[in-house]
Amino acid sequence: MIYVALAYGFIWGAVFTYVLLVGRRVARINAEIEDLRRRVKLGS
Amino acid sequence: MLSPMSSRRNSSTAFIVGLLLTMLGFFVVPLLVAMAPLERTMGLVQKIFYFHVPCAWLLMLSTFVCAAGSLAYLFRGSERGDRLALCSAELGVLFGLCVMVTGPLWARAAWGAFWTWDVRLTSSLLLWLMLIAYGLARRYGGANGRRLAAAMALFAAADVPLVYLSVNIWRGLHPTTKVVSSLAPGMRTPFFFSLAIFSALWGVLLALRMRVEGAQAQLVELALTVEDAEEKSP
Repeated sequence: MIYVALAYGFIWGAVFTYVLLVGRRVARINAEIEDLRRRVKLGS
Repeated sequence: MLSPMSSRRNSSTAFIVGLLLTMLGFFVVPLLVAMAPLERTMGLVQKIFYFHVPCAWLLMLSTFVCAAGSLAYLFRGSERGDRLALCSAELGVLFGLCVMVTGPLWARAAWGAFWTWDVRLTSSLLLWLMLIAYGLARRYGGANGRRLAAAMALFAAADVPLVYLSVNIWRGLHPTTKVVSSLAPGMRTPFFFSLAIFSALWGVLLALRMRVEGAQAQLVELALTVEDAEEKSP
């Protein structure tokens, strides 16, 4: 039973971690967009 | 005709519905697997099969999609193809990792060892390493890194038939490809349901990753435009 639980738990953990990493990448892109907006505002 | 805004809203709704269905499926799969009949010789540990095989299928699918995107990039210069290749390679690494963990757990209980240098195991490990090498070549390969990685993806795709057929050609410890067609009736429904849910999850993750990569490409383009405008302005 322990091996089956470990196997499914690992898959859940791996997918969850991947989604978190993608989420962090989205946050970084949003921060860069904000930075660009500020630069455009300063320039206009 | 749909406006870009409403089409984007529709695609977002489809994405959220797909994500929710997949998450629901991820809770239903273990219930179906728990209710599936026990295999006579291996007993409970055989239930890893319901997660291990879909992950292996997604490793192979990701490699083929990565190769298709790489072909489009190499021969037509398609940036979208390149992005598709990168995203599917990432998913191949993710599901390959799941194969490399769930397989040894099953092997430890069934064969008494976490790893043997069986042809199926070795060729699968090689395939997974090729996808990791694809990512490394893109990141550290310099100016031609993307082209080098795309060529590597074609080699990885050539390994997929070898991985699949290895169990039929060189008989080792690993079960052959006939195991799915010879499943007991009570095992078929949970297996195919699990396969469908894992495939749906792969589709949702690929769509999510493609969106992020598309946004990143647009951002780079915009940043260049802003820098250009800043340089021209007095």
